[in-house]
Amino acid sequence: MAVSGTALEIKEIYDPYVQKWKEKGGRVVGYSCVATPVELVEAAGLLPYRIKALGNPRTDLADGEMSLFNCSFCRSCLQLALDGTYDFLDGIIETNGCDHLRAMFENWQHNKNLPFFHYLKVPHFFRDDSLEYFRGELELLREHLASHFNAPVETESLRGAIEDWNLVRKRWRELCELRELPEPRVTGSEALALELAGSHMTGKDFADLLSSFIEERREAPGRKPKARLMLCGPATDEVAWLEEMESLGAVVVADALCFGSRAFLHRPGTGENPLDELAEGYLNTIFCPRMYKEYDKRRSYILDAAKRAGVDGAIYLYNKFCDLHGTDSVLVRRDLENSGIPVLVLEKEYSAAADLGRIKTRVQAFLERIGGGAR
Amino acid sequence: MMEKGYVMRPGENGFERAVGILEMVYKFTEQVSDEAVEGAANFVFPELKNTVLGLLELPANRGLEIFFFQRLLELFWEAMRAQSEGKKLIFIPFTFPPELFWAFDSLFPLCTEIVSGAIVNICYGQGERFWDYAMSLGLPDSLCSGNTIGIASLLAGPGLKPDAIVYNTPGSCNPNAKIHAFAADYLGIPQFILEKPVDESPRGREQYYKYLLRFVRELEEWTGEELKEDRLREVMQRAYQAVELYNEYWELKKARPCPVPNIFSMTLLVLRSQMWGREDCVEVLRRMVDISKERLRKGEYAAPEEVARIYVSYIYWLFDFYNYFTWMEKKGISILGDILAIHYFPPIDYSSKESMLRAYADIAFDYPMTRQMGGETISLRWVDDICYAVQDLGADACVFGGVHACKHTLGTISFFRRELMKRLGIPTLVLIGDVFDKRQTPMEIFQHEVETFVDQVVSRKKAGRRRAKSG
Repeated sequence: MAVSGTALEIKEIYDPYVQKWKEKGGRVVGYSCVATPVELVEAAGLLPYRIKALGNPRTDLADGEMSLFNCSFCRSCLQLALDGTYDFLDGIIETNGCDHLRAMFENWQHNKNLPFFHYLKVPHFFRDDSLEYFRGELELLREHLASHFNAPVETESLRGAIEDWNLVRKRWRELCELRELPEPRVTGSEALALELAGSHMTGKDFADLLSSFIEERREAPGRKPKARLMLCGPATDEVAWLEEMESLGAVVVADALCFGSRAFLHRPGTGENPLDELAEGYLNTIFCPRMYKEYDKRRSYILDAAKRAGVDGAIYLYNKFCDLHGTDSVLVRRDLENSGIPVLVLEKEYSAAADLGRIKTRVQAFLERIGGGAR
Repeated sequence: MMEKGYVMRPGENGFERAVGILEMVYKFTEQVSDEAVEGAANFVFPELKNTVLGLLELPANRGLEIFFFQRLLELFWEAMRAQSEGKKLIFIPFTFPPELFWAFDSLFPLCTEIVSGAIVNICYGQGERFWDYAMSLGLPDSLCSGNTIGIASLLAGPGLKPDAIVYNTPGSCNPNAKIHAFAADYLGIPQFILEKPVDESPRGREQYYKYLLRFVRELEEWTGEELKEDRLREVMQRAYQAVELYNEYWELKKARPCPVPNIFSMTLLVLRSQMWGREDCVEVLRRMVDISKERLRKGEYAAPEEVARIYVSYIYWLFDFYNYFTWMEKKGISILGDILAIHYFPPIDYSSKESMLRAYADIAFDYPMTRQMGGETISLRWVDDICYAVQDLGADACVFGGVHACKHTLGTISFFRRELMKRLGIPTLVLIGDVFDKRQTPMEIFQHEVETFVDQVVSRKKAGRRRAKSG
């Protein structure tokens, strides 16, 4: 089977890759936010697993803990914790990403009482004083990982993990270049599936996967889309949803998604030791509306990506009750439209099949508006 | 008749209209008669009628509320004059202790949520037009009306505009922080942030102090005014006069029946969010304490008996004072407080600017909502604090007046309710609505639910305890 076939078939939370890791006696630590330095976890000999729901529509158990006014993605992930799907995790790293996420983690821990539960506190702006604090947070995480798992993080292994993940980011950029071609060789849903597959791999394996995939696609024929779209928004891991949107004839040639390009923006920091480098590299590149006084930075990043990929329009997508993205969407829409890029803002429930028809109609109308429907 | 004089006038925004209407408070004396209150209530439009009656119907709080609203009106006038007098007008959220800003001669802080509250409780249409305006911009309907109404009034209309926006809730309340940041970005004005790390260790507190020093420095640079030690001392001493009165107020709440009128809960909230550190705050609070003491001495209570002592485990709904505070009081339901009424004031050392800022940092770190929702765990910090208040004040039950914007509490309410029952055997009524928008859940529904809860759960539980004692 071609690499693309394997990589794009991520259907299980307890994926065969993770199963094999566990069978070999490996331990797995869950995390949710892209501000979590996976290098540190990996350097401790653990497998970092980015928590996802893969479109799980059930939330009945989670609804007993969180309200219906909470993000359905977080409820969906919590459901998988409560029903035992995530029992393979040996621990969790919480981050203060948003109010919903914090509530999800707290309920997770109240109900499952994981032996390793670490709260990585991530500041909400990048400054010298917040960087110093975050550097201290990484030190605490390193100590906690070492003491709990009896897995000291040696400088050499940390440097190795940093190199691996920097290579992942380089490969991701190459993948994006294939998406940005006049006739894209990779679709948005394929990129998302790859990201999901890699979000529970070691850096080395993920980089290898991306290399093989890129190699395969570099020579493959491109596809002339009816419209070139950019997708902006939070952590969405609904590959099927994206496939439905692309089935209308458009291709998502660029994205600013949390499960997507925003996860690979880390730039190596300038610190003398690896922890300094990680602290700066991560805190300075969280292009998420959770960061304050950084809207200008987010705008530049989105506009640059849109222009580089030559998009015809952008869709800003967020889950109902997401105040961070909902509020940012107003400014992003204003600024993209001022740059001549039409924008459709879509507020939806996570993995709600009932929403699909409504949303497809809106996307179809949007494609017609930007000329993609008539081509 | 209704519209005349109450609709927006050219050049005004919602706040200015509210101030214009509030001027009627000078028509009253503190000894206003029942007939005059009734006459005033019948003269105004229905929403304002509920405000007038909520403040003035019960004779116990009438004089105080007139006095208080006259002081508040004077403060609003000061705010409207501030910019022409060379001061910078800043908006601050209700999660920020305002006393620091009063120590700057060149700043005038106006609390966003107090602006919203004034619009909702005074203006025709209760600020719904401003909420709707915010929605028309594309903002999500899951934001908080508490701040969005005030902010949207600025964005929508002419009139008063702040020079900067200050907020402190990144990480403890997304809707609050986000709407303030949005307004600053949208209006192109400076924004100043004081983030509280979700870290209760000494390291977290020290980091917060560092952030505070930087925050002060940024304000100094922006205003061109150094925060003076003498001025800070003066303000903090006044703030701590209020603290002593607050402690007395808290003690008075313990008496049975509760001698503190329910509406004073709202008054305290406004004092703390907007006026703390000022002389008028001390004066109002002193009168509140004196009135409550006098009622305690005379054994006065608005109902034949105190049926239930309720702790509002989150925040009051504030769009209809009459059908919330007064209604419960007349039913014999005493409101002992809400999360915003729980304050932690450390001892203060006035000897230096640094020692006072240290105390201020502790106050702000443990400020209501910032402390709980910005705590290391939302759920445990919240339930610990409410348990303390419930036990200390002798509450029979909790009412969670949930607000649809507050994802942190809504995300942990099930745990909270179970834990409160487990630790103290205290039941919680969970309601979802909105602090300032009656369209979410009308007050009739609230009344029905509370009445049923008190009749079916609280009273039976109390009767059971009495039977067990006598049997």
